[in-house]
Amino acid sequence: MLPTTRLARSLLLVLATLAARAHAQTQVLEISGANFRPLPLAIPATQALTEEARASVGVFDEAFVFDASSAGIFQVLDRKSFLADAREGFTAPSITFSRWADVGADALVKVQLAVDGASLRGEMRLFSVASGKEDLRLVHVVPLTEPRRLAHFFADALYRFFTHEPGPFQTHIAFIHRVGKGREIWLSGWDGRDAVVVAKEGLNVLPAVGPDGNSVAYTSYRSGKPDIYRQRPGAPPTLLVSAGQMATGVAYSPDGKRIAYSLAQGDGTNIYVANADGSGARAVTDTTYFINSSPSWAPDGKRLAIVSTRAGSPQLYVLSLDNPTDARRLTFQGNYNQTPSWSPRGDLIAFTARDERNAFDLFTINVDTGKVTRLTQDQGNNAEPSFSPNGRLIVFTSTRNGIPQLFVMTANGQNQHPLPMERGEFDTADWGP
Amino acid sequence: MSASAPTSLLAAPPQPLGRFLVPSVLVHAVLLGLVLGYGALTARPMLDVDQKPIRATLVRLGTPRDEKLLPRIEELPPPPKEQAPPPAPAPAVVPSPPTAPEPAKTKAPGEKTGDERQKLLGAFDKMSKAKRPPQTSGALDGDPSGDSAEAEGERYYGQLSAQVKRFYDVSETIPDQDRVHLVAQVALFIDPTGQLARFRLAKSSGNDLFDSAVLAAVKRAAPFAPPPDHLRTPLQKYGIVLQFRP
Repeated sequence: MLPTTRLARSLLLVLATLAARAHAQTQVLEISGANFRPLPLAIPATQALTEEARASVGVFDEAFVFDASSAGIFQVLDRKSFLADAREGFTAPSITFSRWADVGADALVKVQLAVDGASLRGEMRLFSVASGKEDLRLVHVVPLTEPRRLAHFFADALYRFFTHEPGPFQTHIAFIHRVGKGREIWLSGWDGRDAVVVAKEGLNVLPAVGPDGNSVAYTSYRSGKPDIYRQRPGAPPTLLVSAGQMATGVAYSPDGKRIAYSLAQGDGTNIYVANADGSGARAVTDTTYFINSSPSWAPDGKRLAIVSTRAGSPQLYVLSLDNPTDARRLTFQGNYNQTPSWSPRGDLIAFTARDERNAFDLFTINVDTGKVTRLTQDQGNNAEPSFSPNGRLIVFTSTRNGIPQLFVMTANGQNQHPLPMERGEFDTADWGP
Repeated sequence: MSASAPTSLLAAPPQPLGRFLVPSVLVHAVLLGLVLGYGALTARPMLDVDQKPIRATLVRLGTPRDEKLLPRIEELPPPPKEQAPPPAPAPAVVPSPPTAPEPAKTKAPGEKTGDERQKLLGAFDKMSKAKRPPQTSGALDGDPSGDSAEAEGERYYGQLSAQVKRFYDVSETIPDQDRVHLVAQVALFIDPTGQLARFRLAKSSGNDLFDSAVLAAVKRAAPFAPPPDHLRTPLQKYGIVLQFRP
């Protein structure tokens, strides 16, 4: 071999080694699982521009701050920590944003109220503290007697601005108010305020908000056995289902055109689907000697989550209305799983389960993966979850304060608050439009 | 006409390209050296966009939970321990005088030790029904600062990941549909003592809130534990890229 060829080959070998070292890859390490923290939001006291508006400020303020605090995406700062001048202006040039930055605010919301005849006019402005710019300006008018409605409107607008999703604050819940041995059905705003009675006499249970948000379907023992009725506040009840030994647990389909309920006949209890007026009922389960109950609709309206004892203990199942005999078992942990509520987002089902310590707590299960996540723990008994229409919040019953009360939390179990309701015992809430 | 020298069949044929090969290789070597030198001076980690990122998790110290039971809410790991000062040199050991061994304790027939008595009576003892210690999902050989029920990948990277995740706070207001697509990369270099030599945003997610959150997470997480021997040079020279997803 010629010396030049030998030298060339040696150099080529060295070059190849250098090239390999030059492309030594830097490791890329994946990090996920961010701690999503609420946005620090400053909400100074609402200002009244007219003397007549002062009477509405307190009610508006309470509702607006509670909505923002419960949303799960805001950390409403304590007003006692504010450093800005209370007489500060309402527009960006008149606001000292550095004072708001000093208290840790990332966003600032200011609201002014004024009375115009029989109407209450509100103006809301949202500012970014870092940039000092106005991000949102909104004006809305409501009847003078409805300051809460104005607060919920602005809270929804604020929620939509940040998340690009509809807010849950202009919706309704139906719930049970325990009065001695009786059970009354009430319908209210999402926060349990502005409540009106729907069904007062006797034993009435398992309410479901109607598709119009102004009626409630429920189970009542007024005829001596459980039947299903629908009723508007101040109007007489309409009988929807009276069949078999017991008709219970009605749930409206997402489009409001059908209902699902549980019917005990003979030796078994099965799930039935009917038109919203109760006509055209057909059974979708057919298991003798077993109990099938608590239907909850999937957001596509084609499936139901139910509770069934066909495996020996109450477990959650998913069945397709197109092929109801092929029910898929969903829960395999624990021996007592009940009250499913299918998220309108479709991915999760919230339910009540009894754990090995005999405590009732709330869980969610991913419909596709089967992963179970615990939402409550070591805080009394927690049961009967119901998702908000946007699937972000859950209202539920809790005995952590000694008596059954209604609480709200985010869908991942954070930010648990009692609803600001009057003193009393409340449970079995259903969250509707 | 001059006579040409006879050509032997055993001699290697002349190679006309040989005279160009060596200079060509030398020129390429010089060029490559210049490129490498520039790369060493700028010291930017070279990213392979097709490289699959690795995951590393640090298992939590705890007892594994029966899979048939409903899950418990996992508890936060304890805060990282402060670095202890270097130990003082041990004093000279003076052998102690030998002592007589203690006589073994003998049990009388029917007598129970304290532990056995506790086991028997514990079921009837109200104190035994007191609040049980929290049960954490993990492994018996886990790490007190671990944040996962199962370990995965290189242990040092798991520690690094757990430390950064502790400060990985992102604003809740980022919409869901945006979160799905957010990916940001931060390149950082760690010196042999674990100090953060430098870091920068290597790839923006397109969302200012998310970008500032990942940079803040890295900055607040430092300093890190000193890397093991086999990672010391790569982390100092080539760095590591953290790819953040919500």
